[in-house]
Amino acid sequence: MRRKLAIIIAVLFAFSLAACSSGKAPAEQAIKAAEEALNAAKGEAAKYVPDQVKAVEDELNAAKDSLAKKDYAAATSAATSVAAKAKDLAAAAAAKKDELTKSWEGLSAGMPQMLDAIKSRMDILSKSKKLPANLDKEKFEGAKSGLAEATAMWDEANKSFKEGNIADAHAKATTVKEKATEIMTTLGMQLPQAAQM
Amino acid sequence: MAEEPGKGQGKDVWDATQWHEVKKGETLSKIAQQYYGDPSLYPKIFDANKDILKNPDLIKVGQKLRIP
Repeated sequence: MRRKLAIIIAVLFAFSLAACSSGKAPAEQAIKAAEEALNAAKGEAAKYVPDQVKAVEDELNAAKDSLAKKDYAAATSAATSVAAKAKDLAAAAAAKKDELTKSWEGLSAGMPQMLDAIKSRMDILSKSKKLPANLDKEKFEGAKSGLAEATAMWDEANKSFKEGNIADAHAKATTVKEKATEIMTTLGMQLPQAAQM
Repeated sequence: MAEEPGKGQGKDVWDATQWHEVKKGETLSKIAQQYYGDPSLYPKIFDANKDILKNPDLIKVGQKLRIP
């Protein structure tokens, strides 16, 4: 009786071992494929949709954890999901790149106009014997240094765009827009329609 | 403060030109005082509006002036 029981246990163990090892190879393959898909999509995607890249990377790490814990079914399932999402990353990055490029075109047309208008007003205010109501010397000096910063950042944004770094160019241009809007408001100037949005 | 003439009718939405609509009793000096704090700077406004102003002392109510 004991012998029979030992044989049954040994057979069951052998079956479970076989089941386990048969799930390991597909899980490893799925993780490898997911990693390759993610690496292929990562270059552009990291520039334009970094949050989505991070989420997919986290999911890949979870798949690897499952593999390490010998939960092959979970590892395979997560890796399959990562591979699918990695393909979506390329499309998401392309869409974001288009969106930023269009927005950049608007900012590129608008920022020189805003900065020129501010400079023109500041040149005249610098010649004024007394500043207008609602503008004291401290605010005016702050606006002056703000214009210098905004102008320098606009040059950097153009440089980034020329280098093909659209996300960085757009981020800098957006900062310039915010700065220019703040200065125009301080100086009591009317904002362009597009800067009011 | 006045809006630019024709604003919202297909014009450049980034146009940052500054406008002032002349009100009753205003002069270029008073407008210069309002925007620059110094009435003696009125020639700056006159120079920016030479296409519609011939004489700095002759401005009309409702006229839209560029304020550089």
